[in-house]
Amino acid sequence: MIRVVTLDELDPADLAFVTRNLYRAFGLGTELAGQKPLPSGLEGKGGRVDALDLLREVAPVRTFADDKVLYLTTAPLSVPPGPLGEPPCWGFAEYGKERATLSTVRLPPRGTSEASVEAYRRRMAREAIHVVGHLWDLHHCVDGRCAMHPSWSPFLPASPEMDLCAFCREKSERKIRLAKT
Amino acid sequence: MRGPPPRHPDDQREPIPPVEGLITDAAELVPGARVVYPNQGVCTVVGQEEKDISGHTLQLVRMRREEDGAAVLVPRNKVSAIGLRLVATTGQLQGVFHYLAAQLSDPELDWKIRHRDNADRLIAGGVLGLAEVVKGLHSLSRLRPLPAKEREQYDNARHLLVHEVAVSLAVSPGLAEDYIDYALMPPAGVKFDVPPPPAPVVLPSRPRHRRPAVEEEEGGDLGDLGLGDLGLELELEGAGEQGGEGAASEEAAEGGEAAPKAEESLPVEEPKREPEKPRTGPKPRTPKKAAPVKPKKAPKRSEKAREKPSRKVAHRSTTRRGRKKR
Repeated sequence: MIRVVTLDELDPADLAFVTRNLYRAFGLGTELAGQKPLPSGLEGKGGRVDALDLLREVAPVRTFADDKVLYLTTAPLSVPPGPLGEPPCWGFAEYGKERATLSTVRLPPRGTSEASVEAYRRRMAREAIHVVGHLWDLHHCVDGRCAMHPSWSPFLPASPEMDLCAFCREKSERKIRLAKT
Repeated sequence: MRGPPPRHPDDQREPIPPVEGLITDAAELVPGARVVYPNQGVCTVVGQEEKDISGHTLQLVRMRREEDGAAVLVPRNKVSAIGLRLVATTGQLQGVFHYLAAQLSDPELDWKIRHRDNADRLIAGGVLGLAEVVKGLHSLSRLRPLPAKEREQYDNARHLLVHEVAVSLAVSPGLAEDYIDYALMPPAGVKFDVPPPPAPVVLPSRPRHRRPAVEEEEGGDLGDLGLGDLGLELELEGAGEQGGEGAASEEAAEGGEAAPKAEESLPVEEPKREPEKPRTGPKPRTPKKAAPVKPKKAPKRSEKAREKPSRKVAHRSTTRRGRKKR
């Protein structure tokens, strides 16, 4: 089961689009699990929230074994810098574990036209699939058309697909089949 | 440390230069130490124990794979041979990131060599070998889609690299993967000013087995086919006549020295067929006699039918054939 929790106000239609596509990508039941408050005191430099701290401090939701929880927020996220600097942070997932978070800050502006709303939703669903894929032990993919391709990659097309490639899909299916429940 | 298994039965297993941090003595494996098992990942040493296996008492080092808690048992006397090594140091990781961030090198395009070298790097290349596999296959994937086997190899190498980097930097694997891909695929407009990457991992040389070049003899057209090695002689229809004429003309030009060679290479005489002799060996087994079949009595037909039997039969056979062909 994938549970989607919002940390800020988001459009219900957008959330419905995301849950529908998460179900389509992983074949797992997906539901909205309500809204929780964004933990306070996590803002660092530039008002960005440390993604690792966020996942550590956020209020938990009731889950069962092998459930995955996705926290959606409108706050900008950051991760600690690495040996070559700080990678851009669209979202973050505890690899192979339970929790992931996704920020809507880096998504294309939602706008009001149908096309812009559609582009916003598609990108949001793509990033949601990406971070939930990490929860199912998927690594980044070399295929630019796959949802597991890094979100900042220069090889990513302008409007990336919301689907997993055949390799990632098979791997995720295998992991889900081998899950305890 | 032993290298990968030889490619050919005649080859000796070639030793390769040890990577940094290689564990050669089992005494270094104290409980709680974190080591990297080639192709398995980071393991924690649990302790040492003795086990009776098929009548032999073996001293084993018990380890636990950190990723999933799987138990790994290694005989103490084989610790030096399997390539256990310490987790990469900060200095080694800097070299890895510099290598990942370096400009694209030409990927090996011969899949056999590439696959073999990558397998060697995964076994005995250390953390830099893992990075080389990831970088090499990633750069190849920019040219064309990876085949299924190499896609799997790429995923395995990435998995091992991510976990080793995560353990070495004491961060979560998700963050380690972001660091790796930030170096591998920097966003547009980002350029790293990094020192030149470390030298690549030295792989064992692979001598290729080639047949020694055969000296071409005059008139030895069939030597190229290697039929002499197989003990075969080939007679070509018409080739004998043409060759004979050509040889004859050359003989005339050269003074007839090459005549016997030509005769030897292309025998003209046909082998005489010996008359068949009666078999003197044991008699072949005769098949069991089948029960005599009584001829069926043909049904009585009218005189008209007797006059035109062939047409009907022919018609039936054609229709059957037609059905079979379909």
